[in-house]
Amino acid sequence: MRKLFTLIFKEVRVTFRDPGAVVLMLVVPLALTLAVSAAFGGGQVTIEALPVLVLNHDAGDIGGYLMTAFDSAAVEGMVNATLVEDERAARAAVESDAAVALVIIPPDFSEQVARAGDDQEAAAVTVDIYASPLRPIGVSVVRSIVVSFVERAGMTAQGVRLVLGDLVAAGHLAPDDTAGMTVVGERLGARVETLEMSGVRPAVEVISVTGRAFDWLNYFAPSMAILFLMFAATGGGRTLLAERQGGTLSRLLVSPTSATLILVGKMSGVAVAGLLQVAVLWGATSLTGADWGEPLPVLIALVLLVISATGLGAVIAAWARSEAQAGALGTTLVLAASALSGNFLPRMNLPIWVQTVSLAFPNGWGLELFTRIQAGATLAGVLPLLGWLALLTVIYYVIAAVGFRRQLV
Amino acid sequence: MALVKVTDLVKRYTPDGANAVDGVSFEIQEGEIFSLLGPNGAGKTTAISMLSTLIKPTSGTATVNGYDVTTQSLEVRRSIGVVPQELAIYNELSAYENLRFWGEMQNLHGKPLEQEIEEKLALMGLTERAKDRVATFSGGMKRRLNLAVGLLGNPPLVMLDEPTVAIDPQSRRYILDWVKEMNRKGVSVLYTTHYMEEAQELSHRIGIIDQGKLIALGTLAELTQLVGQHETLVLKLGTELTPGSEDFVAKLKTLNTVSEASATDGEVVVNVPSAEAALPDIISIASGLGVSVRTIEIRELNLETVFLRLTGRALRD
Repeated sequence: MRKLFTLIFKEVRVTFRDPGAVVLMLVVPLALTLAVSAAFGGGQVTIEALPVLVLNHDAGDIGGYLMTAFDSAAVEGMVNATLVEDERAARAAVESDAAVALVIIPPDFSEQVARAGDDQEAAAVTVDIYASPLRPIGVSVVRSIVVSFVERAGMTAQGVRLVLGDLVAAGHLAPDDTAGMTVVGERLGARVETLEMSGVRPAVEVISVTGRAFDWLNYFAPSMAILFLMFAATGGGRTLLAERQGGTLSRLLVSPTSATLILVGKMSGVAVAGLLQVAVLWGATSLTGADWGEPLPVLIALVLLVISATGLGAVIAAWARSEAQAGALGTTLVLAASALSGNFLPRMNLPIWVQTVSLAFPNGWGLELFTRIQAGATLAGVLPLLGWLALLTVIYYVIAAVGFRRQLV
Repeated sequence: MALVKVTDLVKRYTPDGANAVDGVSFEIQEGEIFSLLGPNGAGKTTAISMLSTLIKPTSGTATVNGYDVTTQSLEVRRSIGVVPQELAIYNELSAYENLRFWGEMQNLHGKPLEQEIEEKLALMGLTERAKDRVATFSGGMKRRLNLAVGLLGNPPLVMLDEPTVAIDPQSRRYILDWVKEMNRKGVSVLYTTHYMEEAQELSHRIGIIDQGKLIALGTLAELTQLVGQHETLVLKLGTELTPGSEDFVAKLKTLNTVSEASATDGEVVVNVPSAEAALPDIISIASGLGVSVRTIEIRELNLETVFLRLTGRALRD
């Protein structure tokens, strides 16, 4: 046990005496976290009076009701929708960031809605949104409103169809009484119109993964910590190869110390250095206002992430043939994992398949964990995620062990 | 009693490859300095790696301090100190921290370890720089620290693998003196080198190794007797060796008065029974081929000669 601690303390001491490593582990992530949050508002994103343009080509009436969706009580104050006729000017307004988005309602929108939900021909309802790439959050809000409206309109159309079917079944309408059906359908539709016009507006929910407004600082504090933990941990694995090339590993192996203890000590030292790193970043960003969530789940998530990242570093060290190769491999993996996981962009904006692929890396699990913890999840609530991350970690260490055995036996 | 006993030791790194160590057998007695002398690639480092249990032999047996290197590696490692060719120390740590770390790896703790550290720092003249990071040390100081680490725990056998490669003459002198000092205090030494003069100066016995095989073994006197009463002529040529020079060496070898001849680094080394008898023939051939001979040096029998005689090549070919 004494030797294990000796190996760990040596590793931590060597790591933190390297000024370059300290900059990369602590200074850069802290600076990036503060810079990104400052660039995007430094705190909560307020969604209000989003300028939205609506171009209605619909030959029917339903397209006109989309405007009422933008005026509904649920989104009151959040969106400022304007009906336009000049598409070119409207597109220019979006491109110059004068408007968040241009909603283009197609000429056959009412027909599409009427057909929607029909079991015979389940066609999609298409609405184009010409969006500003600078306002991903705002565009998400607009999209949510449009989707919610289309779904409600489609359900209304379905409802009318159902009522007509019931009337035919009850014998109040003949199956071939097209004129009668038209009258009933129009009255039902008018009733819906009346309902709409009388102020019963469809409720629109703004979908947010966190359940509350997105906060850049809260998101990027753990995100940058995880990113630079990954760099440090994979770099720590690379130092094992440096020791092999430099001769200190051979010297360790000819001392009365088992190879297993040497490896465990080395990787434990890397993990302890990583723990210190994330602890400092947690504390420092918290002082600047970042809210990581409840301390206990945060602590356990960080510990498991450190062990997992160290495991990935061990995999690289076990299978790379040289320090240079390990360095290249580690950097490539970390950058790819970070891009896929949402270390650079909010994870919820990434396609679902990308988010799924990212779960092959500690980054993906880490950001999933912190998203939920910051949304108020307790330790029990994130236990399944911790379990999966633990399983991934075990897999890493098994692969590393096979590689080390091949190298050192 | 034999502290090290090696019997038919073989190491082959790949199934189809050549033997890096090919059936080597020797013993090292207690209190002895034993050198393995050979050119680069001869198998010296491989031999020392097997004896220090870093790598496993392909076949053959070896014991150190009575422990088998294959089945009792932990006990072997408790009996040895190793000074590798590389500077196997941590630049980010101080001299004191390095000795403390490596001492703990050697199962030393507490007061005995502190005393060891103090002693080794003093022996190596590093006491005043004990708390300074090794990164700030000169190359010679790093070498001394590297040596000090290998001596921690005062093991009965210290293995040094070419410890003086690429260092300044002063540091080299320091190391050679300390090897002799260690030995005077009772430490047995296995020393590998490709410098003939080091082997000659330090060793009680020398094993000459080439291409994995031990081609000669004995004291300096025994080894030089192998080549009989011969003298060595070293001809320094006036110009770089030209194609004509290769003819020169080939023609020398045909002379009755010449036993062996080889060329290296602008010199031609000639082993002759009698310098007096051979010189006129040598000069005549040089003149005939237009080879300019600047100086001729007559050397006493040494290991260089022994190696040349046994292998047909100079030690530093």
